[in-house]
Amino acid sequence: MVELNDLIQHAREMKPLPASTIRLAALINSPHVDLNEVTEIIAYDQALTMRLLRAANSAATGGSARATRASEAVFRLGLARVLSLAIAGTMRDPFQRDVAAYGLAEGELWRHSVATAAAAETLFEVAGSDLPPETFTAALLHDVGKLVMGRYLSTEDLEWIHRARIDGGLSPLEAERQILDVHHGELGGIIAQHWEMPERVVKAIIHHHTPADGFDIICDGVSLANLVAKTIEGAPAPAPDAESLERLGMTRDQLEPLVATTRNRFQAISARYNAA
Amino acid sequence: MPISPDNFKFIQEFARDTAAIVLEPGKEYLAETRLTPIAKQSGFNTLDEFIAQLRTNRTGTPFHDQVIDALTTNETSFFRDFHPFETLRQHILPKLIEQRSGMRKLSIWSAASSTGQEAYTIAMLLRENFPQIIDWNVSILGTDLSPTVLNQARLGAYSQLEVNRGLPAPLLLKYFKKVDTKWVVNDDLKKLVEFRQMNLFKPWPILPMFDIIFIRNVMIYFDIETKKTILKRIRQCLQPKGCVFLGTAETTLNIDPDWHLATLGLATFYQNKPAMDVAA
Repeated sequence: MVELNDLIQHAREMKPLPASTIRLAALINSPHVDLNEVTEIIAYDQALTMRLLRAANSAATGGSARATRASEAVFRLGLARVLSLAIAGTMRDPFQRDVAAYGLAEGELWRHSVATAAAAETLFEVAGSDLPPETFTAALLHDVGKLVMGRYLSTEDLEWIHRARIDGGLSPLEAERQILDVHHGELGGIIAQHWEMPERVVKAIIHHHTPADGFDIICDGVSLANLVAKTIEGAPAPAPDAESLERLGMTRDQLEPLVATTRNRFQAISARYNAA
Repeated sequence: MPISPDNFKFIQEFARDTAAIVLEPGKEYLAETRLTPIAKQSGFNTLDEFIAQLRTNRTGTPFHDQVIDALTTNETSFFRDFHPFETLRQHILPKLIEQRSGMRKLSIWSAASSTGQEAYTIAMLLRENFPQIIDWNVSILGTDLSPTVLNQARLGAYSQLEVNRGLPAPLLLKYFKKVDTKWVVNDDLKKLVEFRQMNLFKPWPILPMFDIIFIRNVMIYFDIETKKTILKRIRQCLQPKGCVFLGTAETTLNIDPDWHLATLGLATFYQNKPAMDVAA
């Protein structure tokens, strides 16, 4: 059986994010963002500049004139999308791998992550609530803990988790917690801290299945985005918690349009993330 | 390592008799998960071989302590469930402090304190919100059955995972310092808190009279007779205007009629009947 300390250690051994992405995260999270500084960081990272320009000119965001400079890409995409796209460029490869422990075939975790980020973007517009810009990044990374779980859990661990669900009647998250003393959200939180992500991103990753425990609206936003993504993927998804919806300033009547809008925009937004 | 039905029955009885832990049918997987690592570390090839060794001496070996330790649910977190602490901060403590201003003494018990997060949460709550009692005689007692969790509680050292569970970043930075990979509680909070071993299921030691008792998410594991006994004993060490917090899934209803249920803010708590005015 895998030891808790080993799982934590593996989480901390995840390949670090590029220095430019970490600096961007810190800057964008600060109360007084200096756009010149953001543009400067991007301009010094040629690969990132290219990715952002491709994303800025993709179908989902492209205007009539093509963006050709980092500053134009930042202006067109907005700071929150810049950060989530910077992370997407780094994380696409590991997220593309299959995660058999969770029944995810090659590419499925990436598609789900992008769908969740797309749902967060739609939610931002539809709900008109107080969601912070970090929501996109947290939505994209919410399942990052599954990368470590999927790689290091043994067949025996998975069998016990399965029995905790079936014999013990626990939810998947409760079963992970009972057997391993940690669930994939918490492990994802450790990874996000290792990557020096903003505190609210960490919190949203930890509580994406338990938004009431996060005491922050970003947890409600990412949790709902996750459920919307599951719905458009045709995966089983529990009904959103009524109090969580209330905190988002939403009613159940708004869910169907939210899902429909996300579904319609998913391809275009996917193109942007895949271009990143 | 699978467990035979007969050995599971033995473990059920042993857990119930020693620590009033109820292992329901269907929880074989839990016994297997928790006991297999101990059996392996102790050099046994199968779980049944390990339990056969346990059965030769019914109690008192290190193996027996390890088994109870492993079967005890130690789930806890800082500010767990949040609302009881808000009710404490906004309603109960201001009134209580006013009432105790003559004696300048507060006594709080965190029963089944596990690794100590609840006791330290109360200590932080007092320090953050009630500077007027800085020189009072304040004691927060944490008790638990397991020596292992008590050792960690006394050290006040928590992993990143543990502090991520409910502890707001500003409080982490204010009351803890980073030592290697652990976050360690500062000495000021440690002075407020004392941890002692205590089995709620066995005869209780002499305890002080408490103003506030937290005994949450522990009685759900006990049968109804044990719950009655514990509630009766709690009443005996609770100040007349004292308050008891149970877990959200726990109640005194249909168990002990001599408790008054009160709700303030978003939390409920219990007081000896008749209803007291501590938080009125």
